[in-house]
Amino acid sequence: MSKRTIPSNERPERTQILWVTLVLIAAYLPLAGHLALQISAFVGLLFAIRLASLRWPAVLPGTWPLAALTLIGVANAAVTYQGWSGQNAGTALFVSMLVLKLMELRRKSDIRLVATLIGFLVVVEFLFDQSPWLVLYLAAVVLGGIALLVDLNGGLGEARRRGAVAVAVRLSLQALPLTLILFLLFPRLSAPLWSLGLDPSKATTGISDSLEPGAISELVLNGELAFRARFDGTPPAADQLYWRGPVLWETDGRRWSVGKDIASTDPAGALLEAARPIGYEVTLEPTDQRWLFALDMPDSVPNGAFISPDHQLIARQVVSAVKRYRVTSALDYRTASPDPARLAAGLQVPDNVTPRMRRLVEEWRSRSQNDWALVQSGLQFFNRESFHYTLMPPRLGANPTDEFLFETQRGFCEHYAGSFAVLMRMAGIPSRIVLGYLGGELNRVGGYHMVWQSDAHAWVEVLIEGRGWVRVDPTAAVDPSRVDNSGASRMLGAGPSVRFTLEQADAIARFVRNMRLFADSLDAAWQDWVLGFSVEDQLALLQRLRLGELREYGLVALMLAALGLTLGILVLASIRERKPLDPLQGEYARFCRRLARIGLDRLPNEGPMDYAGRIVAQRPDLAPTVERFMDLYIPARYGPGDPRDTLAALADLLRDFRPRSRRQTSAKRFR
Amino acid sequence: MFDWTRFKARWLGSLFRRVVRGGDGVVRVGRRQIYILPTGNGLRFAAVLFVMLLGSLNYQNNLGLLFTFFLASVALVAMHHTWFNLLGLSVQARGGPPVFAGDDASFEVLIGTEGKRARCDIGIPAGETRHQSIAIPGGDCGTIHIARPTHRRGLSALDEVTVETRYPLHLFRAWCYVQTDATTLVYPKPAQVAPEPGSAAGDTEPRPRQGPEGMEDYLGPRPYRDGDSPAQIDWKAYARERGLVVKQFGGDQGQEVWIDWAGLTATDPETRISLLTRQVLDAAEAQVRYGLRLPGLEEAPGRGAGHLQRCLTHLALYDHVQANDPLQRAA
Repeated sequence: MSKRTIPSNERPERTQILWVTLVLIAAYLPLAGHLALQISAFVGLLFAIRLASLRWPAVLPGTWPLAALTLIGVANAAVTYQGWSGQNAGTALFVSMLVLKLMELRRKSDIRLVATLIGFLVVVEFLFDQSPWLVLYLAAVVLGGIALLVDLNGGLGEARRRGAVAVAVRLSLQALPLTLILFLLFPRLSAPLWSLGLDPSKATTGISDSLEPGAISELVLNGELAFRARFDGTPPAADQLYWRGPVLWETDGRRWSVGKDIASTDPAGALLEAARPIGYEVTLEPTDQRWLFALDMPDSVPNGAFISPDHQLIARQVVSAVKRYRVTSALDYRTASPDPARLAAGLQVPDNVTPRMRRLVEEWRSRSQNDWALVQSGLQFFNRESFHYTLMPPRLGANPTDEFLFETQRGFCEHYAGSFAVLMRMAGIPSRIVLGYLGGELNRVGGYHMVWQSDAHAWVEVLIEGRGWVRVDPTAAVDPSRVDNSGASRMLGAGPSVRFTLEQADAIARFVRNMRLFADSLDAAWQDWVLGFSVEDQLALLQRLRLGELREYGLVALMLAALGLTLGILVLASIRERKPLDPLQGEYARFCRRLARIGLDRLPNEGPMDYAGRIVAQRPDLAPTVERFMDLYIPARYGPGDPRDTLAALADLLRDFRPRSRRQTSAKRFR
Repeated sequence: MFDWTRFKARWLGSLFRRVVRGGDGVVRVGRRQIYILPTGNGLRFAAVLFVMLLGSLNYQNNLGLLFTFFLASVALVAMHHTWFNLLGLSVQARGGPPVFAGDDASFEVLIGTEGKRARCDIGIPAGETRHQSIAIPGGDCGTIHIARPTHRRGLSALDEVTVETRYPLHLFRAWCYVQTDATTLVYPKPAQVAPEPGSAAGDTEPRPRQGPEGMEDYLGPRPYRDGDSPAQIDWKAYARERGLVVKQFGGDQGQEVWIDWAGLTATDPETRISLLTRQVLDAAEAQVRYGLRLPGLEEAPGRGAGHLQRCLTHLALYDHVQANDPLQRAA
């Protein structure tokens, strides 16, 4: 194998190698937190070798050690992530190979390749993190890469490095308007074309599709945001904000689940009656689930979703990224009766029903004329007995429902909802559990509600003859004096939930809270306008420009037109070469214009002295000003010294210099 | 076999517009004469961008899209910068000092900007080796030296140069073809050895030189001719307004030789010229007075750098077919 010689101007300089290494290190740093330690160790070793080789070139591995390093890198990624599939494994492999390329930077084009692939690395990083800070940081990294490309191209003359950065900054600034146009108008896909299994493998917190004791109380301690909601009109009171999620039918006496037979993906019919509609927009954090949250009861369906027979809003795709959707809900509603299969499921009673539970239900039944009265009896039971509402309930044994109802009487919403639904079913009233969120913190800065994971809630719906499904919240029936908000609520990292009224009279606490609201509204804007910007927003924009019916074609046409226009402006701005007139010459030009007005034009071949001489000869009356002007102008223009000193004097002189033609002056004289 | 270079030179080349000289001999690069294509590096950049675009679109990753669009916009803006970098350049070429055939003829290409915009990475590709590139400050000009191999005697014309740039990101290459009138005189390649000029003609042998002081013999004044050394000019005469007069020094008149076309026996005219060139160089080195006789042309005996140059120029431009005065044609 013969090594081709590389021309000297294709060989990279040491500073350029150092530069590309530093840019790559900077690009890698945010990933270090997401990838396994072994990957960072391998990559760090390569970085160290590369940096050391700048001082001691012998450190650089030859062909065979490099092949071995490549194998180690591949194996390292494969062993760490047990294979190739998955976002982390793919990223680890790509990063390892990219950094390995640093080992052989023989030509400038090798560095150019690395610099180009850093752009790809940056895009990959946004699969892990999408914060605005990361964007700013990576923008700086990309700018460094562009400057490197400018420097590699060379031919900048003196002031090289600074010149390269300046060129990169200018290119970037000119590219910004084009970027904005492309971002706003480039047609998006409404659904992915393929899946490479690059879905984030990390667990997302949030409501799951089952309920067991402790499930929600665990969630309540989580400080993360679930979603934001922005109401079109006046929002309902916070204690009426029941954000509906999964509906649970099946129970084994301990755990509630959706139920295999019931889980349906068929769209359902509309509500029988719907009044008091309220429209709002929800920006949902990724859940890795398909359900969307909507207020009781959702009436209209956003694109890419449907309403199930259980009145759940379900998306057609898993929500793996921030999702924004518009819903209209009816605050007053009447649902249709369920199909027989659902009716049966709504009456299913677990095996571990105890006699005292049965006695309790029979006692209620004997006191009540109808189902609704029985439901009220049940709620009164929770209110009258010494039920406590606490985040830290005692552990329950084999039969949690019985133990909770008659022994511990301390629990969280999941205990109340679960036991209440079982009791209602025993009484022959079809009931089901709804999981979701209750309430929401109004962010006055941003004008929207923030719903936190700590707002997770479970409630019950019972089927009442003639009214359809009616929402019953047994947790709300607990006497407020028995709500324990002293101990556990302090652990609430996020906002105060509706159920715990935290006093925040403290000024510092208020300030901290306001700052938090402000930060969140920035974050919300980021989510809405950058991360969540979608086809729907593009079409809405088009609609506002009255081009709505053109759809994607309109977008493309508008994009091309805007791109062309912006480029044209940029091009014209660069073509135009302004020649700023020397201010001194400007004053002279003014002087000449004034005299030209009375017919004493300067001849093209006349210098200032000849011109002045001619004027003085023709108009002796102007001699003092003209001579004074020349006395100032000629030394300033042709002599040494700073001409700026005389500028003001010349300007003063010219301000009052309004020569009149002789005819006018003589006419005046003889009047 | 398909010869791409020849195809390009003969057929494709005729499709390209050349930038022609203006009245003042300066070439100004206009917007219709600039060609631009992505470089290999630019194509790779585009491929990576395309993958980034597909990935970001598919995963609906808006930030990925944002950065992809940003890089695409930077490339788009850079393309215009590449193009602008050539627009409005003024190019002027001139030949270097004469060389012997086989040596590289040198040319100087002066590239200037008339506006205030500075230009970077302006270069002229030179065969296999990459172009040397220069930066030109606004309103200024820079020089690029080119060497072209020579094979034949005569005037070597630069004809056409390609001015190119890859500024700023090396993603695009813009170039234009500039026609020049620059020529460099190529002397004939001297033969390795040549017979003594006098002996072949049967003349008397040149007597051995008497010594360096022989040079000091004052032979008398003669009018100035192009190429005479300033040291030999009679400046005092010039001060007395008698015109440019050269003081002639010389050795013995007997050391005068004639280098004669007819004195050689070689049949090939180029071989003869090559032999004559060697004889002229030898004579100049021996510091004898020599004259050159070609069919239809005679250079009176003389010596000195100017004389040598004149003789070599005659030999370089001598057209043995037409055999008329080549200096007149050249003028």
